[in-house]
Amino acid sequence: MGIIKKLPVYLEKIPGGNIVTTSLDFVFSQSQASSLWYLLFGTACCAIELMATGASRYDFDRLGMIFRASPRQSDLIITAGTITKKMAPRLRLLYDQMAEPRYVIAMGGCTVGGGPFYYDSYAVEKGVDHIVPVDIYIPGCPPRPESLLEGCLALQKKVKRLKMNDWS
Amino acid sequence: MNRDELVSYIPDTFKDKVQLLDTGRAEPFFLIKAENLLEFSRAIKDDPKLHMDWLSCVSGVDTGEHFEVVYSVASVQTKIRFDYKVVLAYDGAEIESVQTVWPGANWHEREVWELYGINIRNHGNLTRFLLPDDWDQGHPLRKDWDAPDFVRMPEK
Repeated sequence: MGIIKKLPVYLEKIPGGNIVTTSLDFVFSQSQASSLWYLLFGTACCAIELMATGASRYDFDRLGMIFRASPRQSDLIITAGTITKKMAPRLRLLYDQMAEPRYVIAMGGCTVGGGPFYYDSYAVEKGVDHIVPVDIYIPGCPPRPESLLEGCLALQKKVKRLKMNDWS
Repeated sequence: MNRDELVSYIPDTFKDKVQLLDTGRAEPFFLIKAENLLEFSRAIKDDPKLHMDWLSCVSGVDTGEHFEVVYSVASVQTKIRFDYKVVLAYDGAEIESVQTVWPGANWHEREVWELYGINIRNHGNLTRFLLPDDWDQGHPLRKDWDAPDFVRMPEK
């Protein structure tokens, strides 16, 4: 991201350059928001709802969301299902392998805060935000596809607000 | 052999080594002493009328007063199925491995050791099994187990 991050700095010095900057911002953020490829990551029953949302009735593809089998090609990870303490390092590894900018949706009660495993469980991580930074929380056990789509639209709004300067 | 014949056959054969427990379940449930475990397991497998050739599960139990290890056995040949258990005190809970009778006991016994801390004599491979590889917080299914992020269900 080195060159693109410096681009606004040089453009600002040219008269009328900020028009180019804002236009590029618009193009980049629209493209990113409309092609949020998500990682195939389902660890429990939420994955069934994730599959239903990806299939033809709810159709993730109309948001430009396609599942990817590799973290290298993904922009988004939807943690669909319970994350156990044994799974936590693996999730962190997958997240670290994704290229920036990357986003996380915590789907379902288990990943929001432990859910039904909050009490009396030695094995479940109580909230996926202990492991990776979370952008959108979707409660539900499991959330219906409508909830997941709502969460993805909320994430798109968030992505569209980003400027080139925000990229890390 | 039906259930009635079984609940009389096993006490008749093994005399005071076994005790039938009244559980109300369909399958009979026997209590045996820990020192008789290996001998009893070998005998029910070798007995031609029982021929218990399949150890379907070994479970640990923490009742809050003592440990129990429950063995669920079945027979593919004679279609008999029953359970038996041994009771162990908390201090130095230890039991003999039944791998010489049923080799499949290996993983079940590792699980019992890992989650309850019941030592298995002559097991040969008591290593980390289901918990994370770097687990260092003891045996989590014990009643008195606790950890910094462990939240107990509040009393109603």
